[in-house]
Amino acid sequence: MIAAWVPARAALTVAVGLVLADSSVVVLALPEIYRELDVSVSAVTWVLIAFNLVLALLAVPVALASGRAGAARMTVGGLILFAAASLLCGLASGIGLLLAARCAQAAGGAAAVCAALELLPRAAGSEARAARDWAAAGAIGAALGPGVGGLLTELVSWQSIFLVQVPIALAVATPLAPAALRDRPAAAVATGLRPHFAANGALALLSAALAAALFLLVLLLIEGWRLSPIAAAAAVTVLPIASLVATPLSRRAAAPPARAAAGAIAVAGGLAGLALLPEAAVAYTFGPQILIGAGLALTLAALIEAALAGRSAQAIHGGWTIASRSAGVVAGLVVLTPIFTADLAAERDDAEQAGTAALLDSQLPPSTKLELAARIADRIEEEGDKVPAVGPAFEPLPEDPEQRAATIDLRTTIEDEIDRAATHAFSRSFLVSALFALAALVPIALSRRGIQL
Amino acid sequence: MSGRTLIAVSAAASALVVVVYLALGGAGYEPTPVADPCEPRAWTAPEGVEETAQQFTLSALDGAACELRETTGADVTRETLALALGTAESREQFAEDFGIDDAEFEAAVRAGLARAIDDAEAAGALDGTVADGLRVAAEHVPVDEAIALIVDARQLFEDAQGILEALGGVLP
Repeated sequence: MIAAWVPARAALTVAVGLVLADSSVVVLALPEIYRELDVSVSAVTWVLIAFNLVLALLAVPVALASGRAGAARMTVGGLILFAAASLLCGLASGIGLLLAARCAQAAGGAAAVCAALELLPRAAGSEARAARDWAAAGAIGAALGPGVGGLLTELVSWQSIFLVQVPIALAVATPLAPAALRDRPAAAVATGLRPHFAANGALALLSAALAAALFLLVLLLIEGWRLSPIAAAAAVTVLPIASLVATPLSRRAAAPPARAAAGAIAVAGGLAGLALLPEAAVAYTFGPQILIGAGLALTLAALIEAALAGRSAQAIHGGWTIASRSAGVVAGLVVLTPIFTADLAAERDDAEQAGTAALLDSQLPPSTKLELAARIADRIEEEGDKVPAVGPAFEPLPEDPEQRAATIDLRTTIEDEIDRAATHAFSRSFLVSALFALAALVPIALSRRGIQL
Repeated sequence: MSGRTLIAVSAAASALVVVVYLALGGAGYEPTPVADPCEPRAWTAPEGVEETAQQFTLSALDGAACELRETTGADVTRETLALALGTAESREQFAEDFGIDDAEFEAAVRAGLARAIDDAEAAGALDGTVADGLRVAAEHVPVDEAIALIVDARQLFEDAQGILEALGGVLP
């Protein structure tokens, strides 16, 4: 049995943050992963889908099992599995092994997080403190995730994102090990009340919207607008920072159903803003990100509060909320991936045609135009189904000053055409994500009227 | 803050972002349209060999793309063709993507040359006799030479008669 003890409380909090931040950390590495492993955008989304799918499927079963096996034992075992699978992810040289390792990582993560929820109230001294620790771990993890992911990807490699999790998971498991050794299975396992379907349903829909917000935005910044991972990480950090700033304010504002509804509307509004970006400029993403971040702070805390209020055991109902959030992420990615990949392909073709039209209408000599066209075609072929970076096709620039200026103008025109096409390619997906957020208003409204689902 | 006020503030902030972005043209993106290659495209009073050669190349690409549209039904534009003509590999890839065989491709290249010659003659860039000779040559010249002529027609307008003589060897 674990007692109220600072290292154990800190370890449990870090364990929760580590697992729940995984998706926001990994999302920054996805463009690098699909380039290095030479897979399609659709295939690389499975690095997120596989993890969240396993988490969704296992969260409740492992929460139930943690009562039988012992919560401390389950947390430590989960963290060890998470560390081993993270090591395998970092060493994977192919997408198959990476996905298998991600599934194992999620299984370990599910065990660690759900069992940690059972232990946290005892380590923290009360359920209220435990809930605050859990919420803070999730929020801080999500806030640091994009920055850490972008920094590691650019300065080291995408593999380092997984490898760095190994020592952290093992360090977190260490102070919990003595409790795990003393752990005894519970004589009877409480299964508690049935889950709060309305709150969990709304959580799933909002998580689908959030997955889209982060994943699509990162892809737009890195692939569409060709930002470096660090620059993209800095840009998308506006969202979690807005969420962190809004969290303390949201606690004082109105009753949970009203907070949840207001948050869902803000998330939908922010996503609609991303669908209507007037230009390919990072600054235009800030307003929508602030709305989404503030909306999430309002709605997530309110929904988790509603899902857990008066329900025991905490691990099982915490398991339901984790399962709902992960299932939402999976649903969001499964629905949106075919939409944005199809739109990306269509817009890419249009941009290719428009860019070539600009090339043919330019004042360069005909042989230079067709030589350039061939180099651009090569770049497009090399990039496969991704948004092509055509800049290198213009190198080396002509020596003649007049031709050099014409070539630079042409390059700017074509890159601008591609930027605008890429921005537009994500519009429909952001709009569908906004609909996910608006759909969350239905279960929130039913719950507000006291209708039990 | 009451629940209703919070919801109203959230809805107003969302509406503000949407309205401002719409006002800034957020929903107004349309890809730059690409012209139908079968529509006539007027020559713009070319000055000098360089400009004439430019327009000859563009006319030939339009003509070849139009021929492929009409004979194979493929959605080919002069832009797709320009991307395809660069190398033998890009030509093969283009033929595979659009389901075009060698004979169809060759016929399109010759049709493109014929249209470019017609347009050049109509614009006064080629005289009638040279144009007639080139039309005959365009029907018989090996396809790689026809492509080379489309890619860079400068020599044609620098020395049209010389080209005709050079092509004489392949004429029937």
